[in-house]
Amino acid sequence: MTFDAIGIASTGLTLHRKWLDAVSDNLANINTVKPTDGEAFRARYVVAQEGEGTTGVFVAGAAFGSAEGRMVYEPAHPLADEEGYVRYPDIDLASQMGQLIMAQRGYQANAAVVDRAKETYQAALQIGRN
Amino acid sequence: MDPLAITSVQGTTGTGYVSNVGGVQSTDGSSFAASLTGAVDNVQQLQNSSNELAIKAVTGDLEDIHNATIASTRAAVTLELVAAVRNKGIDAFSEIMRMQA
Repeated sequence: MTFDAIGIASTGLTLHRKWLDAVSDNLANINTVKPTDGEAFRARYVVAQEGEGTTGVFVAGAAFGSAEGRMVYEPAHPLADEEGYVRYPDIDLASQMGQLIMAQRGYQANAAVVDRAKETYQAALQIGRN
Repeated sequence: MDPLAITSVQGTTGTGYVSNVGGVQSTDGSSFAASLTGAVDNVQQLQNSSNELAIKAVTGDLEDIHNATIASTRAAVTLELVAAVRNKGIDAFSEIMRMQA
């Protein structure tokens, strides 16, 4: 690839965008309550993998959080079972916010790489102009 | 010693610092044209993909924003490169045309 730094950074951008999507899904569903006879909402975690035999980073797949979730005693809840329990997803808000910042900063870092690479190539085009 | 008794200079010998220049090999004249055409085709392809992604962006079918902006950056830098090569080629041609016999 001619502009390899840009191509590599674009794989990083894609990965961090997917991570951002996963965190966004987890945060959106952090209060999703399920009845105890079903699975709780399972947090989604993006699994990153380096390019094998090539450069860049790729998504190897997704890992999922516990299906058991947290059992919370809420007898007034319409979804509560006979003993008064419902399932909340087992998602830690603080950890998700931390991941949100990491995904954002990672995305910004890769975007900065694209910009710098472009500036570098343009500097190369100026060699011998003056 | 008589200062005016300057002896004649003997023949010089090569210093060996500069190596002999071999003959210039001729080309068939098509390689520069071929590389320039290839580069122009490449730019065309990059601009096409950039255009497709730009259309996707405005119709809302775009999955990744950065794919569109990176494609446009790539097309722009490649075009600049091709233009620089073309300008250099034209400069060289003009320089040769200005040569006096």
